[in-house]
Amino acid sequence: MESVVSIYIVENNFLLRSGIEGLIQEIPGLILKEVFEGNEKNLYEKLIDKKPDIIIVDPNSLGDNFISIISKLQDEADIKIIGLTREDCPENICSRFKYQLPYEANKHILLENLRDACGSDALLKKNKQGSLSKRELVILKEVVKGLTNQEVADKLFLSIHTVMTHRKNITKKLGIKTVSGLMVYALMNNIIDINEVG
Amino acid sequence: MLIVGEMKLAEVIHHDYNLVPVVNRFNIPLGFGDGTIKQICAERNVNLEFLLSILNTFHDPQYFPKDHLKSFPASIIVNYLHKAHTYYLDEKIPQIKQMIKQLFELSEGNKKTLNLISNFFNNYCKEFESHVDREEAEVYPYVLALEEALKNSSKEKHINEELLKYSIGTYEEDHEDVEEKLFDMKSLIIKYLPLESADNKLFEEVSYSLLRELFVLEKDLNEHSRIEDLILVPKVEGMEKQYKSKL
Repeated sequence: MESVVSIYIVENNFLLRSGIEGLIQEIPGLILKEVFEGNEKNLYEKLIDKKPDIIIVDPNSLGDNFISIISKLQDEADIKIIGLTREDCPENICSRFKYQLPYEANKHILLENLRDACGSDALLKKNKQGSLSKRELVILKEVVKGLTNQEVADKLFLSIHTVMTHRKNITKKLGIKTVSGLMVYALMNNIIDINEVG
Repeated sequence: MLIVGEMKLAEVIHHDYNLVPVVNRFNIPLGFGDGTIKQICAERNVNLEFLLSILNTFHDPQYFPKDHLKSFPASIIVNYLHKAHTYYLDEKIPQIKQMIKQLFELSEGNKKTLNLISNFFNNYCKEFESHVDREEAEVYPYVLALEEALKNSSKEKHINEELLKYSIGTYEEDHEDVEEKLFDMKSLIIKYLPLESADNKLFEEVSYSLLRELFVLEKDLNEHSRIEDLILVPKVEGMEKQYKSKL
């Protein structure tokens, strides 16, 4: 499936990393993209480059770089930061995180917090299933007739970029990736007639 | 779990029953007794290191075979991959087709959707077959010829020009479309299989089995391409280097 909310982790400790990965897998729609070590060179630039939705950070992994990296990350309005916090985490560090995964919390609470951070609205919106919009239906019809993205764009006076976005959304909504799969769907639901297909 | 030679094969299968068809491909059918993997390999003349790397690749998506495990000859890998192909084409796919046929017989409603799904699967099979054919007709003979040439090259000074024209790199094409079609097949069944009346229990049962078989096939195929990418391709790349160095 297409990724919906992309997550990156900064954590040096393998055991903790596996634990966080396990949590992420429990929530459909979240996808773990990559794990970084806290002492990597140009960590901030690397993270920003990925355009993450969420970064889970272990202050212990960042060590002395903590303040400088966190301050910069917090200036990025589109990125949410979740802190992995220990009981003895100093107040000046803890308070940096609006969202936290506390070491001592049980699984239920950890999942709750993770979901909160992702914003249930965002998840619901991105996960929206079901019926295709009118525009998407028009594009679906052309695609299953065998037109390429470029041909669809020319025919409907759209940019190729727009057509590709629509196609991505169609695939997301229907869970069907190939053109021949889409054709079966379209025929099943009488969106096109068998005679229209070349 | 890292699977090692000292483990009992039966316990490994208890732990991950997806490995049954894999073990089967090594001519170790069920009823293999109480031995460790090492013992069973020795009894049946199976290359232990190769079996271990295949079992681990299958069992753990994170597993990456280490270099010393690639010491087995390429012909063993090819032999294994060939057996897997036979398993897909002669067993799995006919089994799935048979289930689709059963659905037709059991369905009391409109057959239009079933027809579409069935055609879709048949097209997938054709595509898959031609993919397999290409590997069997081009790639594997090349690998075997290369291995043979390397074996003999100490005696002969002669270099086979034909072998230099090909490279395993060209074979690393994408299996993507074939994989995506199988995924779509699952989606079509999960989401769009036609409704039958609630008391058509047999239809329901067969459609569940069909879906399960598709999942099993998909997993097997994914691991198959990982074995090609992680074991066969690096092995052959090494052989190509070695062969060229003799020029």
